[in-house]
Amino acid sequence: MRKTTVLLGVLMIFALTASAMAADVVKIGHTVSLTGGASMWGQSEARALDMLVKKINAEGGVLGKQIEFVRYDNRNDAVESVNVARRLVSDGVIAVIGPAQSGNSIATAPVLEKAKIPMVVTTATNPFVTIDQKTEKVRPFAFRPCFIDPFQGTVAARFAITDLGARKGAILYDVGSDYGQWLAKYFEEAFIAKGGAIVAKEAFRTDELDYRAQLGKIKDLAPDVIFIPTSQKEAAMAAKQARDIGIGATLLGTDNWGSPDLIDLGGSAIDGGYFVNLTDLADPDIQDFVAEYKATYGEDPVLPNPVMAQDALIMIVEALKTAGSTDGEKLAEALANLKDIQVTSGVLTISPEDHNPLDKPAVIQQVDVANKTFKFIKKYVSVE
Amino acid sequence: MFLQTLITGLSIGGIYALMAVGYSLVFSVLNFSNFAHGAVIMLGAYVGLALATKLNFGFGLVLAGSVAGAGIIAVLNEKLAYSSLRRRKAPSLYLMISAMGCAVFLENLVYATIGSRFYAFPEFFGRQVVTMFGSSLSLLDVGAFLFALTAILGLHLFISRTRTGIAIRAGVCDMTMCSLMGVDLNRLISIVFLLAGAFAGVAGVFLGIKYLVYPTMGWVTNKAYIAAVIGGLGSLPGALAGGLILGVVETFVSTYVSSVLRDVFSFSLLIAFLVWRPNGLLGIDSEDKV
Repeated sequence: MRKTTVLLGVLMIFALTASAMAADVVKIGHTVSLTGGASMWGQSEARALDMLVKKINAEGGVLGKQIEFVRYDNRNDAVESVNVARRLVSDGVIAVIGPAQSGNSIATAPVLEKAKIPMVVTTATNPFVTIDQKTEKVRPFAFRPCFIDPFQGTVAARFAITDLGARKGAILYDVGSDYGQWLAKYFEEAFIAKGGAIVAKEAFRTDELDYRAQLGKIKDLAPDVIFIPTSQKEAAMAAKQARDIGIGATLLGTDNWGSPDLIDLGGSAIDGGYFVNLTDLADPDIQDFVAEYKATYGEDPVLPNPVMAQDALIMIVEALKTAGSTDGEKLAEALANLKDIQVTSGVLTISPEDHNPLDKPAVIQQVDVANKTFKFIKKYVSVE
Repeated sequence: MFLQTLITGLSIGGIYALMAVGYSLVFSVLNFSNFAHGAVIMLGAYVGLALATKLNFGFGLVLAGSVAGAGIIAVLNEKLAYSSLRRRKAPSLYLMISAMGCAVFLENLVYATIGSRFYAFPEFFGRQVVTMFGSSLSLLDVGAFLFALTAILGLHLFISRTRTGIAIRAGVCDMTMCSLMGVDLNRLISIVFLLAGAFAGVAGVFLGIKYLVYPTMGWVTNKAYIAAVIGGLGSLPGALAGGLILGVVETFVSTYVSSVLRDVFSFSLLIAFLVWRPNGLLGIDSEDKV
């Protein structure tokens, strides 16, 4: 008799958890680089999301259901990102967070659009993540919480001209990256529009290690500033090689520089360089988040991805609340009309026209090798 | 600009030559392209990095440790992956496939154990720049270039002057005859791999200091392979000449034509050499192999 009761009890618990798993769960996909060159950010992004989702679930989840992540590694590779997107679709997720890179996001968008599943990328800043380049129409299922590259390029150019007093600029970029190619273009346009001259625009191929041939050409034209829209690895190597062949120009970068290992990799060569970033560890708006992350994981978050990923999750949760349903089209409509919601990085409003956030600030940081930090220099909310 | 391009080209070529030597040594004796050489270079860089960052060794000890480490890894690689194939007299194509497998295996081993992060060596010498005739290059590059030349010259002397060197050259001519004459072939081949590994260690440290350390850094040896082919696979002076020529040509193409076309040019050069001059500049007719 007693045995039977125990057995029944166990069976009931099983039945309960099984039904809880089946029905009371909202599956959100997360496509992220857990390995490969961008894994530092990817790992931090995953941790920040796990931290936030625990809190949301403890408070009762969303629409009365618990949130569950379906997370796959896209290895920071466009082909792999498409495979991940297809797997997420067949896993039945209702929305997707990520990818973090523009090239991977542009590859992912059509797959999710076909399946009518909204995606909120984290730090993909290229305009064509939310706008279809061919039709020039907004992609109905693509959204983002971060600023876009024309803004970032303009901020960099304006900072170079007004704050650094630069007149002659040079650009060194990766011809194999959507991110680098377009930022080079936006910077060039803005720099010229503000009265400067681009004396050299030199490209290298992805995975190339030696830029001294290109830098040698740049050196002859003696620019005041060299714009290097790449990730921290290329920036560090370019900085070392530029200093090796005697270039003294100020180095200027973009949000992909913002990894703590930029300082380890670039050493004294990168000291004093400036770059545009999405957030700053010292930003008063994110202090609670930074403290919580540090308490949970014992180290600083690798910005900006963790903050942007939390913003993306909050966007999805808020949209689910407004839509009152997990239907893809209703959810996308709710995402497009988010207004003044409180996210980790501050307050966010999405523009229904292009699915980008309105008035997303950018910060300028300076590399300080001696103190191993990025010094906060200034913040731009708009550039006009 | 011309002089700066030339100097940069020579400096890049010096590193290509250092890596090409490893290919040429193994090819000359075993007649196959050891594509695992790039992975050994990568591991050599990691050994050096560990010594420099964990144990705070100076440059000399780091270099010595990396040379020893990569040398041992290369010998182990031969013992584990090639020697049984060799004993069964497998065609050299099988050895080459095994080498490719080793390269992928070692790379993924590093991914799985150490991770995909990028690392940089500590700055051993600070950033000192030498300027001549308005062109600049770092002191490290000058040092690396001179070191590469000295090492290759030393190897050349070793092979042409010592008893072991004579045995290696005899092995290059005819392995069977060589073993009939009482030369211990296994020992001889181990020595060849030890030497190739030692050069991989030097190349690994220089590459790591110049660029960065990461699991796929060995891929740059594709270029060293081209250099070895241009110079003539199996010829040491050829590896040096091939490396320098490739470095200079690439840098001139990047500067005066287009940096994006650089690799198109390098690989076209490889194909052209394979079609019209398969023995390279200094290689000897493959029909009656050295």
